[in-house]
Amino acid sequence: MANIAIDSIKERTFDAIVIGSGISGGWAAKEFTEKGLKTLVLERGRNVEHIKDYPTTNKFPYEFEHRNEMPFKDKEANPIANRCYAYGEDSQHFFVKDNEHPYVQEKPFDWIRGYQVGGKSLLWARQTQRWSDFDFEGPARDGFSVDWPIRYKDIAPWYTYVERFSGIAGNKDGLAELPDGDFLPAFPLNAAENHFREVIKGKYPNRHVISARCAHLSKPNQIHFDQGRGQCQNRILCQRGCPFGGYFSSNASTLPWAQKTGKLTLRPLSVVHSIIYDSKKGKAVGVKVIDTTTKEEIDFYADVIFVNASAINTNLILLNSVSDRFPNGLGNDNGLLGKYMAFHNYSAAITAEFEGQLQYKTDGRNPASGGYIPRFRNVYKQETDFLRGYAAAFSARRKEWNDTNGVGEDLKKHLIKKELGPWKIGSHMMGETIPKENNQVKLDSSLKDSWGIPQLSISIDYDENDHKMRADYFEQMKDMFESAGFINIETRIVDRRPGNDIHEMGGVRMGKDSNTSLLNEWNQLHSCKNVFVTDGACMTSTGTQNPSLTYMALTARACDYAVAQLKKGNL
Amino acid sequence: MNQLIPRRTAIRNLLIIAGGAMVLPACYNKSGKPTIQLNNLSLTEEDELFLEILCETLVPETDSPGAKSLKLHLFVMKMVDDCYKAEDQQMFINGLKKFDAFAKGKIGKSFLEASVPEREEVLKGIQKDKEKDKAIHKFYQITKSKTIQGYLNSEYVMTNLVKYELVPGRYNGYFPV
Repeated sequence: MANIAIDSIKERTFDAIVIGSGISGGWAAKEFTEKGLKTLVLERGRNVEHIKDYPTTNKFPYEFEHRNEMPFKDKEANPIANRCYAYGEDSQHFFVKDNEHPYVQEKPFDWIRGYQVGGKSLLWARQTQRWSDFDFEGPARDGFSVDWPIRYKDIAPWYTYVERFSGIAGNKDGLAELPDGDFLPAFPLNAAENHFREVIKGKYPNRHVISARCAHLSKPNQIHFDQGRGQCQNRILCQRGCPFGGYFSSNASTLPWAQKTGKLTLRPLSVVHSIIYDSKKGKAVGVKVIDTTTKEEIDFYADVIFVNASAINTNLILLNSVSDRFPNGLGNDNGLLGKYMAFHNYSAAITAEFEGQLQYKTDGRNPASGGYIPRFRNVYKQETDFLRGYAAAFSARRKEWNDTNGVGEDLKKHLIKKELGPWKIGSHMMGETIPKENNQVKLDSSLKDSWGIPQLSISIDYDENDHKMRADYFEQMKDMFESAGFINIETRIVDRRPGNDIHEMGGVRMGKDSNTSLLNEWNQLHSCKNVFVTDGACMTSTGTQNPSLTYMALTARACDYAVAQLKKGNL
Repeated sequence: MNQLIPRRTAIRNLLIIAGGAMVLPACYNKSGKPTIQLNNLSLTEEDELFLEILCETLVPETDSPGAKSLKLHLFVMKMVDDCYKAEDQQMFINGLKKFDAFAKGKIGKSFLEASVPEREEVLKGIQKDKEKDKAIHKFYQITKSKTIQGYLNSEYVMTNLVKYELVPGRYNGYFPV
């Protein structure tokens, strides 16, 4: 019997365990397996294999029962999922339904989740911008959160590293506030977007309208073909999963790459209950998993553990990893675990029309979705009555419609004849929010999920700074739109609850001091050195950039460090 | 009622609702029930026939298929049944049930017996003064918008008239008009 037990433990022992297979977990899987580590990737949801498990990917609109509209019953049952822009008949199988995994909303919070292999990397908006030192130095300069333990120079080579493999389309714009990357050709701006770019360049020296940078293979290199991916075909049906591998996802890229090394064990349907801490060894020794098929509890062991469960679930796992040494959650000596969470403020939009450049329209589809305006407020110095600032999405397309006024033959004739109107201009704000101690997640004291794990209670909200920032966005954008000769300008407060931005961050923040942060400069828990957090939970502040690229770079960097430390016997 | 016969023959065949395949329910037996399974709407076979004619009036057969051959009335029924809230469904039913009486008031005869120009006259009348009867207006507005949606998103239109590209493979921001 003893031998069987030993064999069984051996089978459950790996060099590295990665919790989560989304955008950062996929990178950890790739890095560890490439460096020769026997790696176990745990995923709580079902398996989704690239192409094979994209059931809707090649469907025409008329093949969807309700032409991609969700039935009323589904809207009633799943208001949170339905509020996500990417949720529809074509993608709903990649979203968690509201009642499947309940959580407590102390304050309204839309927690958008994708529980499957690949996680939300199948569903993301694919916008990818680097941080600059204006972002990393923000908390120290403006006196909020804690100082980041790293600067741009620490992460810059790792941005390059992940960009080359992922494939990021963009221009070298030469902007200090949005450093250039290792780019594939950008998707160019259209006639109206370029008009706006020129006007803004002339009138506002520090404001820039650039081609949005995105994780699409505009012109693949050999490294992308080697992954089995091909050129983006401008379908913009990305939320279904791409049969061409045109955009970056764990499923299309990092996971199959890791698989090829022969070092990867991918275990779907495995909910992580907690991380097992051994007080004699003074480190974590493994992970307690609940097999969602058999409901069985299984322990897996490894020398190093990466927690990439998505920002909020990473907090949950650490909070639930209690031991005599860590009664309040793993690594939580200072009581700050779950606190100082933040998100991106997407609560404002502005639309307009433009009657110039009417000799042009667009043809085909732009996967980058148009233009991007990097943060221009409070960059070099504090200049407003609110902290930090916002980036803005910006895009234009000709209005097309059908005259539907008639009936009979008259109506029918007009239905197949598209009328071409002026350019429709649109922009929305992507504001930095300030992490605050009372924006937090914690374990509910009584409610449990289906696996006996405490439910999370979420308390995250906007504040006065966010409202002032929104007012400024309206004012500045209106001014910029008017300068460009846009008409019918309309500002709109978008009633988006926190979480609906899908950019929740923090709770396990990085910092220099173990009294005020959970992770060090290598994403390593200060007080449990063989556990690393490299997903959104690690973020000390939020910047204005779409965050995934930074998670990827931090993950690759932390893996490199962890392997070096393992070799030195330090973990 | 003679005109019902070819229609029944037609719907006994495999139904293609604007491109999506739908198998006839096994219970179809001239029972007075509609030909597709509805979960929320209470409609009769007569209602379905009326909707078919209304949709065909909106988008008639010309040198290309119209609402009837594209089964757009079934699409309207499906959408109203699944995608509308109860109060809109009720308005739809209310408007539908009083539509014939409403038409009679306008043209002196049943909508089903009216000529195409007479039917069009009824519809144009509704579009002109929308406030007069809320239920009629709501019913008509839903039916018309879903008929248009079903038509533009039908396999026929998307492959023959306004081609939908699943794989465009290009983007040009300066395409000459």
